[in-house]
Amino acid sequence: MKYITTVNGDKYEIDIDQEDRITVDSKTYKTDVQFLSDSGVLSLLLNNHSVEAIVEQREDSWEVLIHGELYTVLVQDERAFRLAKERGSSFEVSGDAIIKSPMPGLIIDILVDVGQSVEKGEKIVVLESMKMENELRSPRDGVVSHIYVSPGAGVEKGQALVTIVNPPPN
Amino acid sequence: MSREDLHSQRFDKLLVANRGEIAMRVIRACHELGIKTVAIYSDVDRNSPHVRYADEAYYIGPPPARESYLRTDKIIEIARLSGAEAVHPGYGFLAERASFAQACYDADLVFVGPSPHAIRVMGDKLEARRTVKEAGVQIIPGTEPGLSDDGLLEAAPLIGFPLLVKASAGGGGKGMRPVFELANLRDALDSARREALAAFGDGTIYLEKMIPEARHIEIQVLGDFRGNYIHLGERECSLQRRHQKLIEESPSFVVDEDMRSLMGAVAIEAARSVGYVSAGTVEFLVDKEKNFYFLEMNTRVQVEHPVTELVTGVDIVQEQLRVARGRMLRYNQDDVRLHGWAIECRINAEDPYNDFLPSTGTITTVILPTGPGVRIDTGVFSGYEVTPYYDSLISKLICYGETRGEAVLRMRRALEEYRIMGVKTNIPFHQHMMDSHRFLSGSFDTKFVEERFSMSDREAPDALQAAILATIVEHRQGQQASQIVAPGERDTSNWKWLSRWERLSR
Repeated sequence: MKYITTVNGDKYEIDIDQEDRITVDSKTYKTDVQFLSDSGVLSLLLNNHSVEAIVEQREDSWEVLIHGELYTVLVQDERAFRLAKERGSSFEVSGDAIIKSPMPGLIIDILVDVGQSVEKGEKIVVLESMKMENELRSPRDGVVSHIYVSPGAGVEKGQALVTIVNPPPN
Repeated sequence: MSREDLHSQRFDKLLVANRGEIAMRVIRACHELGIKTVAIYSDVDRNSPHVRYADEAYYIGPPPARESYLRTDKIIEIARLSGAEAVHPGYGFLAERASFAQACYDADLVFVGPSPHAIRVMGDKLEARRTVKEAGVQIIPGTEPGLSDDGLLEAAPLIGFPLLVKASAGGGGKGMRPVFELANLRDALDSARREALAAFGDGTIYLEKMIPEARHIEIQVLGDFRGNYIHLGERECSLQRRHQKLIEESPSFVVDEDMRSLMGAVAIEAARSVGYVSAGTVEFLVDKEKNFYFLEMNTRVQVEHPVTELVTGVDIVQEQLRVARGRMLRYNQDDVRLHGWAIECRINAEDPYNDFLPSTGTITTVILPTGPGVRIDTGVFSGYEVTPYYDSLISKLICYGETRGEAVLRMRRALEEYRIMGVKTNIPFHQHMMDSHRFLSGSFDTKFVEERFSMSDREAPDALQAAILATIVEHRQGQQASQIVAPGERDTSNWKWLSRWERLSR
């Protein structure tokens, strides 16, 4: 069975026939995976290189913790990958970007106005939560099309705050 | 209030007016000394370790701190109800509120900490500056209290830029703003005042000269009711982000024996100027020429106290408890020797790859590092929910070595071993720091993390392994799902089939 697996923007073609022998980008590895408990702790021997990891399922991806680093991994079988490709890439921010509140908190400041051009990384919203003022930044270049909240508002996790769209063509 | 008037007595039961890792730290010290403990908990902390490890636990209120851990009246009432004779405030919450210490004294409870007077003076940064200046301690040039905005705007050019707008009641960087030119000062005054008012209920602000390339170095002091003082050497706390310390170590790269004695003596003078009793910390800014200036005094046990405990062998919380019971310090200054090196990494629920945004959620798995030279102070567990109500500190990882190099190697190893799932943590930040040349050579200042340290050049060495693992797990899930058919269509139950399949695929 063939999979296209994406980590940090890099794609790996992984072919699993027998679980103890898999091919990654046409290189074959001897693998041994043991589930150690219900808590998601796994032991991997990859060509006898030992890795302990925790693997947990999220909504549409996997989270894998190895040596302190947390990897978000998207696994698609070949068919799902082709379908997704035909529909257009789902991983790149090309359409509207909605800045959502990453946690419950209080809006301290909105640093942009509707119609304003912004650059990727520009500060958009100041949100107070966990005793800190946090800056939410734009994930892309674009233009502010909607602002859904105002300073002083309490917001929930996942609540939409600001939408940033493609700039109009010159 | 003089020292003799202060309340101290033997006590056998103590209420811990805090939560999280520091509540655990206090409970442990109490149990070592045979003192019974009383915990308090809000709605979200019923299952927290401090509740389970204490001898008794009482519900205090809803999750927001002002309705629970900040309720002086309820805490005093629970102390009475439970028969506690003493209160330890930990850090944060009520630890540096003179009114809380006073309320304890008024209720005939021993407050494990300094007098309300000492808390009040040191808690007001302006009064603290004046008091220690009179005691001959060098302070950073800045404005006197009580200036209007116009007065501050006039005074600013005389102090010189860059400067800091600071809240008189401030702490932890709250209500603090750097200003590099006059044009930005008015905005900074407004936002600093707003933040100070929200955080402390006091919008008094003042200006202070910014010391360029400064290091933040602090001295741990201990005092008893007889007027004995010792210092336990320094902690290097320059690695901060937005005035929140991230990594602390003891000793400091830049402090030698002579400087340590000098800073220690000055810190003790600052403590003596307010008749200080118990554990406290005098913070200094140190400039490139190794001049040091009084910054503030923290009148409580600090988050980073373990690094000092590891290099001096002094149990600071136990010492607080002994002093509060009216005993003398167990040590003279000559007994205090720094041995080896200790580093602390604060493990926070925040995403180092996304502007250190706090991460909330349920911690699904925790596996702690162990082995030689590793200490963990934590208050979380698998199933613990990181909520937005309290700060994002998950634990403190402290490593000890005979040398700084050995401590760093142990820290690297321990960070690799530490497994926390369910929320994002700043462990990769610490790993990256432990690999950085600037950290290894000790050449950093308080601006290093914010201005010259980036996570973007960090490589993820195990991406291939992560890809393989996730794919195998998904593959196995898919295989299992395809083996499960509608009930009745197979000769045996799906569960039996599944276990057969699992045996087959071993």
